Amino acid sequence: MNTRNILYILGALIFFLGLTMFFPLFCSLYYKEGDFNAFVYSITITSCIGGLFYFLFRPVNGKISLTHKEGFLIVATGWFLAAAFGSLPYMIYGALPQFGNAFFESMSGFTTTGATVITNIGNLPHGILFWRSLTQWLGGMGIIILSIAILPLLGVGGMQLYKAELPSPVKDKLTPRVAETARTLWIVYIIISIVEFIMLLTGGMDVFNAICHTFSTMSTGGFSTSDAGIAHFHSAYIDGIITFFMLVAGINFTLHYGLITGNFKAIFRNSELRLYLGIILAAVIIITISLKQNLFYEAGGYLRHASFQVVSILTTTGFTTANFDNWPSLSKIILLTLMFIGGSAGSTSGGIKCLRVLLILKYIYKELYRLVHPHAVTAVKLGKRIVYPETMASIWGFFMLYLMMTVVASIILAMLGLDMMTAFSSVVSTIGNIGPGFGAINPSTTYSEIPYLGKWVLSFCMLAGRLEIYTVIILLIPEFWKR
Amino acid sequence: MRVIVIGAGEVGYNIADILSKEGNDVIIVDKDEERLKSISENLDVQTILGSGSSPQVLKKAKLSQAEMVVAVTDSDETNIVACLLASAQSTSPFKIARIRNPDLSGDSTLFDKDHLNIDLCINPEREAVNDVINLMEYSGALEVIDFAGGRVKLISFYIDSDCVAIGKNLQQLREIYGGEDILVASITRGDEPIIPSGKTVIKENDYLFVFARSEDVRDALRFFGKKAEPSERVFILGGGNTALMLAELLEKKGSDIIKIIEKRQGRCEMLASRLDKVICLHGDGTSQDLLKEENIQDADYFIAVTNDDEANILGALLAKQLGAKKAISLINKVDYNHLVPIIGIDGVMNPRRASIGKILHFIRKGKVISATPLGDEKAEAVEFIALETSDITNKPLKDIDFPKGTIIGAITRNDEVIMPRGDSVILPGDHVILATLRSSIPKIEKILTVKLDYFG
Repeated sequence: MNTRNILYILGALIFFLGLTMFFPLFCSLYYKEGDFNAFVYSITITSCIGGLFYFLFRPVNGKISLTHKEGFLIVATGWFLAAAFGSLPYMIYGALPQFGNAFFESMSGFTTTGATVITNIGNLPHGILFWRSLTQWLGGMGIIILSIAILPLLGVGGMQLYKAELPSPVKDKLTPRVAETARTLWIVYIIISIVEFIMLLTGGMDVFNAICHTFSTMSTGGFSTSDAGIAHFHSAYIDGIITFFMLVAGINFTLHYGLITGNFKAIFRNSELRLYLGIILAAVIIITISLKQNLFYEAGGYLRHASFQVVSILTTTGFTTANFDNWPSLSKIILLTLMFIGGSAGSTSGGIKCLRVLLILKYIYKELYRLVHPHAVTAVKLGKRIVYPETMASIWGFFMLYLMMTVVASIILAMLGLDMMTAFSSVVSTIGNIGPGFGAINPSTTYSEIPYLGKWVLSFCMLAGRLEIYTVIILLIPEFWKR
Repeated sequence: MRVIVIGAGEVGYNIADILSKEGNDVIIVDKDEERLKSISENLDVQTILGSGSSPQVLKKAKLSQAEMVVAVTDSDETNIVACLLASAQSTSPFKIARIRNPDLSGDSTLFDKDHLNIDLCINPEREAVNDVINLMEYSGALEVIDFAGGRVKLISFYIDSDCVAIGKNLQQLREIYGGEDILVASITRGDEPIIPSGKTVIKENDYLFVFARSEDVRDALRFFGKKAEPSERVFILGGGNTALMLAELLEKKGSDIIKIIEKRQGRCEMLASRLDKVICLHGDGTSQDLLKEENIQDADYFIAVTNDDEANILGALLAKQLGAKKAISLINKVDYNHLVPIIGIDGVMNPRRASIGKILHFIRKGKVISATPLGDEKAEAVEFIALETSDITNKPLKDIDFPKGTIIGAITRNDEVIMPRGDSVILPGDHVILATLRSSIPKIEKILTVKLDYFG
């Protein structure tokens, strides 16, 4: 492993992260609420450390190429460091003086989880609120992919990083160059964000809230600017806009690119998209009926809350318009299931991803089919492509690993004294990058009551969930460190 | 520039590698998914699975936007069809096809604008055969590459332990040699190419590339303790198309004795009917008895050109052991090239490298005439015409801001060949031959590509 290259790229990444803090700095300059110094210090510390590494370890000659191992290591440590440096504003301003809490908040931002340990969010200065939402937006499409797109420092190595960060089991490039692909994804991301921003403005949101909510919707993050979340706005129109854009953000961005470039056929034929929309439709219907039977809301409220919550949970955003912890148990079970599934591959959402669920279902069907026709030659197909047993095995492996991590982390949290529902749902919610859960972490409360050590466990779950587990777990395997 | 490479074999891989590193958008099409997977991990290119002769697949590769199509699959027919599709779907891409069948590649009218409309046909074997013939002309060199129509040659060889040049730097070397007529272009030591300066010291086992006028090549080789006489008695192991081409050319050149050893009876008969002076032997080329019986100890050259790299290497070693003076193997696998000096083979014939050189030549922008990869392909020799409007003319070489690691090897003006020094001046219209590191190629291109060319 080439330590020099790794430190160089990490340095570039941190330096770059420091620069992004200028946006909340401008915000605090505008609102003058006493968080200006916090950002000045954070920028100085982050950029200086990053810049120093960047300068000290710059490559001797030309471009660097990376091995797979180095790619995994850079992405995993890169995210860890981003969360660590990203927690500086919270600590320096004093919103969360303890490192563990600030790190949790920052990690929750970058991994687009949206779980918070801050109570009374509305009292925070605008700069800090802006930074929270910005971390989500940066983390949504991926900070590494952003740096590949912007920094011309990677040649072939970019592909290794791209693969280690992109949340999808299938990692095709849209264009011949990885930098160009990364740029394309970001441009699509930015375009849709701008559209949402304008739509929210027309719904009567002020500019600051519109930007912040665009950031946390498009990244399927879920940080809001007040304790009440989206319910704060009391607007069916805003609920609708946000539902729509959460839905969009949960779709594979390759398809959005196809839409922009006029390739409509591929979109309608996409079987993952069909499954994704099918799951949403079915869940909305069941939950609407379940709510109606229990007479929860006035007429019209059923569908609005059911659809908002289903989309918010399935896309792993975690915005709330209602406290679903009080809902009937059928609705809760459905939502819990959705937490596992997650959005589409190649979107900004978390979870297991519809594509994997789809392939697993197809695989199970194939096994049953083979019992009926023992001599039949069959293959799992995605569109017209055969999914090779290798890919299938890696999906099964991912699935098992996901469940195992959930179980192990839940046991640890239960050992720390949390009740069953809280322990289990907090892990499911953080590993799936969702945010709210059931029990003590329901939408009306925060994660602040979780024990200190538990927050570290959950921070780890968020990171593992965002990087699709393999990228993080691989660092814990002794084989990885052997020469 | 958008380039579609069809066929992800060795040639396709290397062309894609070079082009993508030079900043072109490269798309590779191949039928082998495993192969594509490993390529997408190693190169910054897009891979598309499918047949290169399928219009759908090429459409997916956005053929209509491509500026160049390089069809280098194993199948001549696929390559031709791919180029035809390129002509049909795209306005004016540059088309390069690998055509191996000598029957096809012999017919030059077939590929002109009115028929198949392929801009460049490459027969890797023919390119390699040309290289070998050149090599046999100067038997001490491991590679001989022509520039300026053959008037300047770039030769390469390893420095033996008894060479007079060991321990001398290049300035001292010039003094000993007593002239300005040779120029060391690149030294490969270990894996890295060094573009030398006057202070670079030559060590044993260095792999040198040297520019010289064609008439000085023999003197230069003798100076470095290498043999320089042309060869008369040649053994060829294997009777495939390469062997046939080689034998035909050697026949034309008038070599005394040419013997081909081939296992298949039918192929032997076919060879015998095509070749007049050549002796076709039916038998196993690795059989000591056969080789001895045919007086292998008198052979100047033993050239192993079967389809099997390993058999070629072993055959060549066996022949050397039995007394052949020089042995050359056809080796496709580039990984084996490092072994060549260690195991004692005198030369390598590499169709892949030969085709890459030829393709690069066509790809280079500006007024480049020829480009050839050196050694491990991290360096390259380039021949170009100096234009009046470019930054390099009409001033002394030492004032030109060439990128690091660039050496001007020779300048040819009309019929005169100038071996340059610091105060030499390049005039418009001169052919300039230089050696440079591959990483500097884009900068060199920038210097050479002339502002006026964009408008004119």
